[in-house]
Amino acid sequence: MEIRDNSLSNIAKIRWYNLIDPVTKLLVALFLTMLSFVFTNLYFEVSLVLISFVLLLLSRLSSATINAVYFCLFLIVTMILIQGLFYSGNVHPLFSIMNITFYREGALYAVTMSARILIIIFAIGFFMSTTTISENAKYLEAIGLPYKLVYLLMSVCYILPQIQQNMKKIQFAERARGINPQKTVAQKVRSILPILIPLIIKTFDQSINRSITLQLRGFDSPERTLATPKYHYVRARFNHYLLSFLTIFLIGCKLWQIFSRFL
Amino acid sequence: MANIQQISITHLSFTYQHDTNTVLHDINVSAPLNSIIGIIGNHNAGKTTLCRVLAGIIPNMMGGDLLGDVHIGNLSPTKDWSVLNRQTDFVLQDPNSQLSGLADTVADEIAFDLLNHGVDETTIQRRVADVAAQMQLTAQLQQSPSSLSGGQLQRLAIATAIVTKPGILILDDPTSEMDPQGRADFFNWLATIKDTTIFIVSNEIDDLCEIADRLWVLVDGELVRKGTSLEVINQLNPEWQIGTPKVYQLAKLMYWSLGADLFPVNINQLRGCVHDQHSN
Amino acid sequence: MKENGIENKGNRFNMWKIHLSVATVTLIPAAVGINYVAKAFAEGLKLPLWLGSLGTYLASMLAGPTAGAISGFINNIIYGLTLSPVSTVYSITSIAIGIVVGVLFNRGWFSNAKRVFVSAILIALTSAIISTPLNVIFWGGQTGIPWGDALFATMIGNHINIWIASFTDEFVLDILDKVVVAYIAFFIYRQLPQRMINYFKDNQ
Repeated sequence: MEIRDNSLSNIAKIRWYNLIDPVTKLLVALFLTMLSFVFTNLYFEVSLVLISFVLLLLSRLSSATINAVYFCLFLIVTMILIQGLFYSGNVHPLFSIMNITFYREGALYAVTMSARILIIIFAIGFFMSTTTISENAKYLEAIGLPYKLVYLLMSVCYILPQIQQNMKKIQFAERARGINPQKTVAQKVRSILPILIPLIIKTFDQSINRSITLQLRGFDSPERTLATPKYHYVRARFNHYLLSFLTIFLIGCKLWQIFSRFL
Repeated sequence: MANIQQISITHLSFTYQHDTNTVLHDINVSAPLNSIIGIIGNHNAGKTTLCRVLAGIIPNMMGGDLLGDVHIGNLSPTKDWSVLNRQTDFVLQDPNSQLSGLADTVADEIAFDLLNHGVDETTIQRRVADVAAQMQLTAQLQQSPSSLSGGQLQRLAIATAIVTKPGILILDDPTSEMDPQGRADFFNWLATIKDTTIFIVSNEIDDLCEIADRLWVLVDGELVRKGTSLEVINQLNPEWQIGTPKVYQLAKLMYWSLGADLFPVNINQLRGCVHDQHSN
Repeated sequence: MKENGIENKGNRFNMWKIHLSVATVTLIPAAVGINYVAKAFAEGLKLPLWLGSLGTYLASMLAGPTAGAISGFINNIIYGLTLSPVSTVYSITSIAIGIVVGVLFNRGWFSNAKRVFVSAILIALTSAIISTPLNVIFWGGQTGIPWGDALFATMIGNHINIWIASFTDEFVLDILDKVVVAYIAFFIYRQLPQRMINYFKDNQ
């Protein structure tokens, strides 16, 4: 019986996106983002949005991604408004309502930026919804990232739910004690201190204890068995080189675009 | 001074850095290796600090003014920490802090130390299964550590410690969140462990008297009593406000003495004593 | 201790090997968590502030500028990956905040209330200078906070240079946020038990 779940036979079903390693997925996100910065043609941007969205649909559309889109919606709307009205390059009116003119150039500029934001959200959403924390941790360790750094990155992912729990407990206790609704900013800030201070001390105490435990438990020992990746990835190293090269090339293009304006 | 078969503590005093209170005050004691030593005392008596010195956390990770000498066998937690650490495991008071914080399952959590020490996968599988069975966690192996109850979490903390088969095991109040049955199981299990030096801090005086070879009593950082549980419990000063085992209380009420004003402190002694009374 | 043997075979990331003590490694996630909680409180109370750099401040104060910078960086990366992808780019700002707080703290600029104010202004300036280009690149200059953006829109509407408008938008918000966070951090640091401060100082 396999007790520790790290053999392929234990995984019920391998989907296509399990064949791509996490670093490649991140590089894809970076590559798409850079593409959208270099080629600012509207149709190109829209097709990039569609490509990244299809990528997401073919894998899994998680609620986190939808939340992220929702999160940016306000900004996108105000951006289109502000730029459409006040963009410095505005020349051609698009429409007018009661003496307020909305311009084409500004709207286009804002739509391009919005597309870029959506590309970033979808591409990162693809990475997030198709990998798990432990898969990423194992992969990073397997490709040679020092365990200390892997630990650092991954424990952040694990600590957030813990802190949320602590926060709920303390908030509950505070609510039971009763806090008057505060009005001014100073009052509000002062009212959270009695909750924040014990929470912070408790959190730091836990990190002291954890650092002691980790040392006692042989963390960072040179003999550590490197983790084996969770899946067998296809052409991981080739993908990394190719995507890194393309991304660096695009960054070079962008820099050239900027500098050539001053020449 | 360093006797290979002995734990020896001589003139041990300790004050935490930037603190004026001496937490441990001139402690002198020795005990044979591979025995179970129960450490008792009230809140702030210095029990946890003593454990930290024994595990080498003081002075390797926490600074302060450390005087005197500690030897476990021929190793000193101060000077030979990395060697000693390989043979020692520590169960902290708060089981949450014991966890690596980076394991999806109970099985991965237990395997953490073994992975760190480069143990091969087959051995890991076997040891994890073994330890989980001992700590009654077999059914939870695939669960996330965060889904466990307080008592299960404490058993997991103990499992992570014993999986490396340490020669020295330091347990700082390992049963505080266990239910009575879990606690009883734990102490029964502890009594079966061989070839291991065990230091255990606990308030479960009844259980300690059943299993401990020695008891050390700390009062305000001073080691006020040391010896077998029979000697120590019979010589407690009421001012220290340290609880006594039920067996002892009962025997005292009933005048079931072992002679020379000594009252039994565990079931075995009580049985012998009651048996003697009957045969008289 | 066991510091001198982390070289794994074929380690391609040696250039990343900034010396990190185990204490710092466990402090940073805590700092990120505190950032997260403080931000949640600010949103819950509908404060016109973010407070999301409180943990970064405390990490810098406890374990130095490097720890603060890494906390800030990881904070934005994780926050970006999980909640709002675009905040990833502001990790550059967070790194700078961590460094500036750590250096100011070490030079004694968090020792009394008056000095904290000066520090806060310097931190806000740093933050605004670094964030402005990012705002312009990604949002055409906005910050996403309604009343700051209203100010921005008014300035742009009056044909004021986009960089000045964006900087003003960002700085106005930053100054309030960074002053409040600096005072909270100053106050909390003084409440921390001495043993805690020592532990992180000794184990750097």
